Amino acid sequence: MSNKHLFLPSGFIRTPLQNGLGRYIPQLQRITLKFCKNHGGSRGVRDFIETDLMEFAKTNPGTVVYLKPRRHRYPCMVAEYLNGEREYLSCHEFSRAEIQKWLSYMCTRSGIPVMRFRKYQHTDYPSIQGVWNPFTHQAPEINVAQFPHEILSKPVDNGPTATDQLIEIFKKTQIKDPVKPEH
Amino acid sequence: MNELSAINVISKRNFKPRWVAPTLREIKRRKDVEDDRNGGPKIFHRSTFLEWLNYNAEIFAFSNRLGEKFNEATLQTALTHKSYVERETARLSDMGVDSYLQIQNNEELAVAGGEMISKFTNGYLRAVFTHVPEELIMAMHEFLTSTSNLETVGKHIGLGDLMLCSDFPCESETYVKSLKAVVAALAESSGEERARIFVQDLVVTQLYGLDINELWNPADPVGNLTDILKREGKAEPEFRLIKHSGQNSVLAVYYVGVYSDKNFIAEGAGESLEIAKEMAAREALKQLFHTEDSMKALPFGRQLKNIQSKIVQLENQPNLPLSKWISEKVTSAVH
Repeated sequence: MSNKHLFLPSGFIRTPLQNGLGRYIPQLQRITLKFCKNHGGSRGVRDFIETDLMEFAKTNPGTVVYLKPRRHRYPCMVAEYLNGEREYLSCHEFSRAEIQKWLSYMCTRSGIPVMRFRKYQHTDYPSIQGVWNPFTHQAPEINVAQFPHEILSKPVDNGPTATDQLIEIFKKTQIKDPVKPEH
Repeated sequence: MNELSAINVISKRNFKPRWVAPTLREIKRRKDVEDDRNGGPKIFHRSTFLEWLNYNAEIFAFSNRLGEKFNEATLQTALTHKSYVERETARLSDMGVDSYLQIQNNEELAVAGGEMISKFTNGYLRAVFTHVPEELIMAMHEFLTSTSNLETVGKHIGLGDLMLCSDFPCESETYVKSLKAVVAALAESSGEERARIFVQDLVVTQLYGLDINELWNPADPVGNLTDILKREGKAEPEFRLIKHSGQNSVLAVYYVGVYSDKNFIAEGAGESLEIAKEMAAREALKQLFHTEDSMKALPFGRQLKNIQSKIVQLENQPNLPLSKWISEKVTSAVH
């Protein structure tokens, strides 16, 4: 049940070259759609190319789209990212909508390989006030105190003890000015 | 077949015949033996692939990806290296065609771009770190304009496939030259303002997450602090031991505090009293320079809109060096 048996690496979320801090640069460099002009399994890809491809290319002008017709081969798409990583996805028997979805998935990724995120946030400055150390909240009077000390030798005040509380309750129940009975 | 084997596969369940896995294993073993003999796997430039048809499309995508408009010819020049031009002329003369190629290379653009990057970085640093002495500004500038930093930036905006150079895999210097030339090309095409924002967005953001106090520290912090406090008319700094633990052991720690006229300024920790005293003085100087660990976050991107004019103004106006910081009235000189 531990991480070392998994092939899926784990890590903290990160982005290449502080992307988004200054400006956002879409990380998808180019995408190659390979398909067969005849075979039935490429029908979704062919339909996508005929209908939705131009719109995709217009909305993502930073990505180069290559089309590679290959006879008697199953369709696939290969995405290349700015950090040099490549992603391969087989599109065999995909519908037009599925191709659209997977393409938008490729567009929104950075090239960093899929991994299990240990945390969904990351900071380079985890502590602003300073990490706790045993001296953090120590009273500076310790330095010149002679022990045993009246205040510092006692445990830190946590409130009145149960005995003290009972005494307080008893005192409150006492009648302050007893009225003399008229005989 | 120049197809690079794709390494990241979005996989589905596949049932292959029995003999496929052993065959592939044997092929891989033979390939590894060949690669080891040749000193690493063979790498090919992206343009040798079959799917590389459109250099113009790649250039178009490059400028759109960055959100900038480039003058086509200037950008082409910025990406062409002298080594490439030389190689092409040599090749043509070998073939017998004795033509002098009219392609320009990016030498002048690279020089101009290098100056611009240096200038814009300095402007940003001086505008953001107003109280910092010039030595630390120079240390940060050196980090940001170093070869390794500019090479990383160049690689991650996709220059690797677009550069025309004779060396492959391209050296760091080539990437750095291309990036500088691209900045100069951008300044020529869209104006210096856009080039400044480009450098701020891509080069200067690499400052994020860096501990700037690792880059430079004053040589004599105690002396500097004494001089500064004297100049400001305050009492001499007094160093007092605040806490200590583990004396006479390997893990000794001493906390020393700096006080001026019984007012606490800063504290520092160290393995010995001298180290702790120096660290305390350093902390006090950090407070004066406004570079403590808890300092305000650096502004990037849209947050720079209000201080752009200040950045332009300070590009040619260095901060006070440490020697002046000690003697002159800092508030009059700080922007």
